[in-house]
Amino acid sequence: MEVWNAFIVSIASVWADSGFTGFTVGNAIMIVVGCVLLWLAFAKEFEPLLLAPIAFGCIMANFPKTGFFDDPGVMLAIHYGITNEIFPPLIFLGVGAMTDFGPLIANPSTILMGAAAQIGVFISLAGAMLLGFDVKEAASIGIIGGADGPTAIYLTIKLAPHLLGAIAVAAYSYMSLVPLIQPPVMKLFTTKKEREVVMEQLRPVSKFERIVFPVVCTIVISLLLPPVASLIGMLMLGNLFRESGVTDRLSDTSQNSLINIVTIFLATGTGMTMSAKDFLNAKTLEIIVLGLIAFIGGTAGGVWFGKIMYWISGGKVNPLIGSAGVSAVPMAARVSQIVGQKFKPGNFLLMHAMGPNVAGVIGTAVAAGTMLAMLS
Amino acid sequence: MGHPVTTNPFIIMLINMTVVFVVLYGLSLLIRLIHVIDPTKNAEEHAEAAAVPTAAPAAPVVDNSAVVAVIAAAVAAYGCSEANIVTIRPAGSPVWTNTGRISGIQNTVN
Repeated sequence: MEVWNAFIVSIASVWADSGFTGFTVGNAIMIVVGCVLLWLAFAKEFEPLLLAPIAFGCIMANFPKTGFFDDPGVMLAIHYGITNEIFPPLIFLGVGAMTDFGPLIANPSTILMGAAAQIGVFISLAGAMLLGFDVKEAASIGIIGGADGPTAIYLTIKLAPHLLGAIAVAAYSYMSLVPLIQPPVMKLFTTKKEREVVMEQLRPVSKFERIVFPVVCTIVISLLLPPVASLIGMLMLGNLFRESGVTDRLSDTSQNSLINIVTIFLATGTGMTMSAKDFLNAKTLEIIVLGLIAFIGGTAGGVWFGKIMYWISGGKVNPLIGSAGVSAVPMAARVSQIVGQKFKPGNFLLMHAMGPNVAGVIGTAVAAGTMLAMLS
Repeated sequence: MGHPVTTNPFIIMLINMTVVFVVLYGLSLLIRLIHVIDPTKNAEEHAEAAAVPTAAPAAPVVDNSAVVAVIAAAVAAYGCSEANIVTIRPAGSPVWTNTGRISGIQNTVN
């Protein structure tokens, strides 16, 4: 009898400590959401490198009583890396090491398309405030339109950390949907004649220019907008590793091993913010809709500025490259290339679109820094 | 954290877009300035100019007709008729050109 009692008490104790006692319908729904995201990542290949860890993090975030964010351990370390803005600048280091700034340096006038595409951020910000979000939440939602995941996470952590899960998921989801979202907007605002413009070959860029530009850019932006100095600084440091020609090992690590490791931590940690109590509410749906508006607005802004440059240049600039100003390196530039080739086979817009694409990354960081200076 | 400077979304938009445009336009000016003061610019131009005369004598010896035929066929595969092919010349930026070609071929195949 004593053994039986001990057995019953032990089983009751295990049950009381198990996650089942705190498991809610909301947790179940979020686990299903996580499984759907996994399916999108693996079966549909929507940004699988990001979506897979986000989805699995979402599933794990909905296990009650895990104490992930209370007890020291790897989950707390990952959470610390996100909430203390460690991972986004490290991602930027890898992005800088992977990105060729040559097209931007060769044709600096395209940098303004990257500025124009930021209009989507502020259209969405205004929309969010009309829906009742406060100004800090609205700024964090608006930055989704920058199509730059690390910057979106960086700004949201500083201004509206409680919205991190919804904003990060919206930002990365729309980045993966760039090839579907942008082409209709690009076609809507351009004529057939504009889409068929063949741009001149870019001039070669010297090693001197490639090395001096990141240094000058870091100095100017860091002095002007200190809140984003870590983002811009790491982006440019990564690019210096790439261009210097004597730091190949550092460049290789930045654009391969390091960015892969940090992506696992950042994406899993982002998924871990998707607990039912934080995610399952009407605000999440509103954020997802506003994010889409921001993307469409940014694409339209870039294309419209491309049209202005088409008129000013006497028809030498193809407005399709303006859509790449929304960042999402290099996917947005590839979309410009694909849409351009549909209307004129053999037209290579990719290198020209990389100019506004890189400018978009810098522009989104500048917009984030300006909002931090104004709102925090 | 302090209080926001303003909560009017249109003022925030106006100020931010102005700052973004001014900063990026300033960067474009700096890029042009870097190009102007580039001390290696003249050296590279001289190197290119010096390379041309050495390459020229070799040209008549090589029969490029097969290469031209292959390039013409590749251009035609993109959908251009023969009337569109005016000239075939080497591109200045091999990395980007190759990327564009690969992308173009993939789009054609898909």
